[in-house]
Amino acid sequence: MTLSLVLLCVFAALLELDTTYAFQTLISRPIIAGPLMGWLTGDVAAGVQVGIFAELLFSDISPLGGIVPPSGVVATAVPLALYSLGIELYFGFFAGVVSAVLYSFFDMLLRKTRFQWLVFLEKRIGRKPEDITRIVAATLLLSFLMSFLFISAAVWVSSRLIFALYPYIPPKAHFAFDLAYVAVPWIGLAALIPVFRLKTR
Amino acid sequence: MPFWLRINMFFRSFFLQAGWNYVKYQNFGFALVMMPFLRRLYRKDPEVLPTVLARYLETFNTHPVMASFCFGAMAKKEETIAETHNVAEYKDQVAEWIGARRGLSITAASIGDRLFWGTLKPLTLLLAIFVWMLLGVNFLESAGAEIPIPPLYAFTACLAAFFVYNAIALFVRWEGLKIGYESDDASCFGLTRFDWNRTIYNAKRIGIFFAVGIILFGVYRFFDGVRVDIHFIARAVLVLSFVMFSFITRRLRLPNVYLYIAAVIIFNIVCLF
Repeated sequence: MTLSLVLLCVFAALLELDTTYAFQTLISRPIIAGPLMGWLTGDVAAGVQVGIFAELLFSDISPLGGIVPPSGVVATAVPLALYSLGIELYFGFFAGVVSAVLYSFFDMLLRKTRFQWLVFLEKRIGRKPEDITRIVAATLLLSFLMSFLFISAAVWVSSRLIFALYPYIPPKAHFAFDLAYVAVPWIGLAALIPVFRLKTR
Repeated sequence: MPFWLRINMFFRSFFLQAGWNYVKYQNFGFALVMMPFLRRLYRKDPEVLPTVLARYLETFNTHPVMASFCFGAMAKKEETIAETHNVAEYKDQVAEWIGARRGLSITAASIGDRLFWGTLKPLTLLLAIFVWMLLGVNFLESAGAEIPIPPLYAFTACLAAFFVYNAIALFVRWEGLKIGYESDDASCFGLTRFDWNRTIYNAKRIGIFFAVGIILFGVYRFFDGVRVDIHFIARAVLVLSFVMFSFITRRLRLPNVYLYIAAVIIFNIVCLF
């Protein structure tokens, strides 16, 4: 991976913290992360498009209760990283969406693992209440590292896979992936109509 | 509540979900936010702090923005606990504190989920798309990504979405702390001070206007300047059928992301045969 791709993965992992663990200013939502990452990879237009498509696609899943939606940051970072390597956006977007779904399972696993340390951490806070700041900082650092490793691995594996399969992909498959990609904003916009149903009164 | 203490708690509230786990949810974050207040309240009796903190490390789960109402209210309740003179009174106050924490966190979560996740987030998404459309950014076609967009155009829309969402979220975070602290049980710790239902209703009315407008504009852009041939019609029918299909999958509570993955597989099968 090139230095710019490593920087993109670091930036994406930092943004991923904003999704759940810190701030939640929604700078990590795809419509904002997309143009920023597009600017980093040298194509703002691709960033805008991927950002809009990813956000529309995931607009019907909210992080209610314990639900972990597919990561919008991963779904934006992976296609843009692949696009900067010369892979078409429609292939990259598919790889990004699959990675985002996998990331939600990975994040769920992390959250389940975290509670195994709970008893130990609570005892430690009980002995030294000031340690809570350090514990929270350590949790954030760990989440950042895990996100960085996942995003880097997703970019590396999908780029290798697509480059290996590329000579065998027929032109019709390009058309099929492109068609599904173009359908994304329409499916997403159609999903937004029921979101705004006036049922509060 | 002193101003600097409020600032400290406000800043810490951004880390409420830092230790999110499936057993006690936001308990670490809750304790982290309340820590400066507890340290100040029990500064003359610091050895009770671990016992007090144990209550804050119990299950806590609410909406991260609306949580500020809980912080303010729990701080006020904690002051009442600190002022108790005997064990019976202490136990009563602690039981009341636990009930208030549970009830308030559920109510705040319900309002926050509907207002922020269910209304404001999709509304600001539509706002960004609307601004991009006004600026002439074509994102509907695959080739649209190949047409360069000036960075100013690209960032104007996302900055608009960012500022609108955060202006409201930061206001609620900041004011919630104060209102929660100053209000009592009768006003549900200040939650009844705002007409949340009316706000959500009005925001949804704006949202439906934006959504329909954007779809109509998108359809116009889709057909504008396009040569209508058999390929175009086939493509439009396939996309439309998937949109119709999305209404069925929504009834089955199947997220759109799986519909997209299914679309890729089905389109590949159709194209190959």
